[in-house]
Amino acid sequence: MTKHELSFDVRVFSLETIKRALYRYQDKCSFDIQLRDSDIVIAFESSIEDMADRIKREVLDQDLRDTISKQTANVRQLILANAFSNTGLIG
Amino acid sequence: MSPLGKRFKLVDDFNQAENHDYHLLPSRFAGLDDGRYLLSNEVGEYLVVDRSQLESYVKKAVDQDSDFYHDLKSKHFLFDDDSNVAIDLLALKYRTKALRTSQFTSLHLFVVTLRCDYTCQYCQVSRQTDDKHAFDMSEETARKALALVFRSPSPAIKIEFQGGEPLLNFNLIQYVVSEAKKLNETHKRDLQFVITSNLSFLDDTVLAFCQEHGIHLSTSLDGNEALHNSNRPRPGKNSYEITVKGIKNAQRFLGRDKIGALMTTTEKSLSQVRSIIDTYLEHNLDCIFLRPLSPYGFAVKNHQTQKYDIDRWFEFYKEGLDYILEINRQGHHFVEVYTQIILTKLLSPFNTGYVDLQSPSGAAIAAIVYNYDGDVYASDEARMLAEMGDRKFRLGSVHTDSYEDIWLSDVLLDTLESSLSESAPMCHDCGFLPYCGTDPVYHYATQQDVVGHKAFSGFCAKNMKIFKHVIKLLEDPDTKKILTNWVR
Repeated sequence: MTKHELSFDVRVFSLETIKRALYRYQDKCSFDIQLRDSDIVIAFESSIEDMADRIKREVLDQDLRDTISKQTANVRQLILANAFSNTGLIG
Repeated sequence: MSPLGKRFKLVDDFNQAENHDYHLLPSRFAGLDDGRYLLSNEVGEYLVVDRSQLESYVKKAVDQDSDFYHDLKSKHFLFDDDSNVAIDLLALKYRTKALRTSQFTSLHLFVVTLRCDYTCQYCQVSRQTDDKHAFDMSEETARKALALVFRSPSPAIKIEFQGGEPLLNFNLIQYVVSEAKKLNETHKRDLQFVITSNLSFLDDTVLAFCQEHGIHLSTSLDGNEALHNSNRPRPGKNSYEITVKGIKNAQRFLGRDKIGALMTTTEKSLSQVRSIIDTYLEHNLDCIFLRPLSPYGFAVKNHQTQKYDIDRWFEFYKEGLDYILEINRQGHHFVEVYTQIILTKLLSPFNTGYVDLQSPSGAAIAAIVYNYDGDVYASDEARMLAEMGDRKFRLGSVHTDSYEDIWLSDVLLDTLESSLSESAPMCHDCGFLPYCGTDPVYHYATQQDVVGHKAFSGFCAKNMKIFKHVIKLLEDPDTKKILTNWVR
């Protein structure tokens, strides 16, 4: 098991994004999350060689997902409202 | 006005978006393989993209003259000033996908007896020996269950007789069919019946009855003689012989389309997938469902589910699917059913009736189970769980509870609400969500939580592997031609 520490600048990534990324790897390791100045610091132990790289990639993916979700929230509501209008299923 | 008349616009009219921003439409993505992603929209249309394409799409930096831009636009991942119909089209497609949910419960399972003449180790149903009539459904129970069946608004009603071995209580099957048909004279639904049987008791009387009422038969065929007999022991050690004889008789008297078979994978099956498929071909069956073992019933008591993991099962499935594609390339139409369900979701605007791949869960609102004693369960798996001692998903009883009590019970509504993939961690933003579903009973059985942590979920691991594999198979034009023909 190797100890790792990764830090992410809070001005670039939200805590929510980091937490979503780590959630996906909870079957591989457990994480400590701390806020240090303007960094979110995560510490973990893993025997998987590229675990730190995987987490960094996943953080970037989650960040993109966050962008899509925020930019399409209104239009998604519109599609769903449109889909179920005149069906008697919504008031 | 255009010289082409009112119906046509000039080419310039289609280029209004030039030098304007485009707007993102709701989409999700998931890793497909090294450096590639599956990008899917709200209704399941998809593109395979690389990392730079994904980023440029999200950052709105895609060149509007590029093929990629037109792919994104035509598959409803973006809209611009040229296209103002995307939202209406997406809404229509979304409504089509959700249609089955609004139609409500169509599959009604009647467990007419727990008695069985088999002693299968992997049995997902706790069986009783075949001389205990205490485990038979009574006419009174059946009548009360039927009253609930016809309260469902579904235009199509399928009543499936299960056991134990349902033909051990054939009198009750006759009663239910007759009563259901009488009730249907008023209700006028598309009414169908299925008997799920090991075919031990399939005689001329049963066949004549099935023929008269257009009843389908579903049986179990696990593979070649040695494998089938080993998986499905009965006194006389001749289960294969009996099953195969039953299949032949049913095909001859009722027609090939009236009998289907299901197989269950055990540890012994894993190295024999080609032989299993050959057995199906030998007996003129035109499809096979390569199913993994469920974590319920005797399968858990006897530690059958621990004997192989999802990775090993996936290798079995992959080898089987490759072989089936080879068979199709030789001109024989033969289908793997789980792949067919996924293809229908991937390549058509329709959802399938397959209960395990629905969101919200199909528990009780797609299929419901009436047990021999009148207890009502959210699914067949819920009944298996109850027989292991956990009655978490017992919704009520036909003897004491009304339609409203059962379908509006807190346990069902809470389960359905919490099981929506669209709000489940790791599912809500997964690119495979439009093709996947939710299985609260599985996650409760394995993690004691109806939502379940998907990083630990065998359901998620299995389905992700299959989705990725099928999507990659579709990249080969010849294979795509075969697989497209499987879509229902």
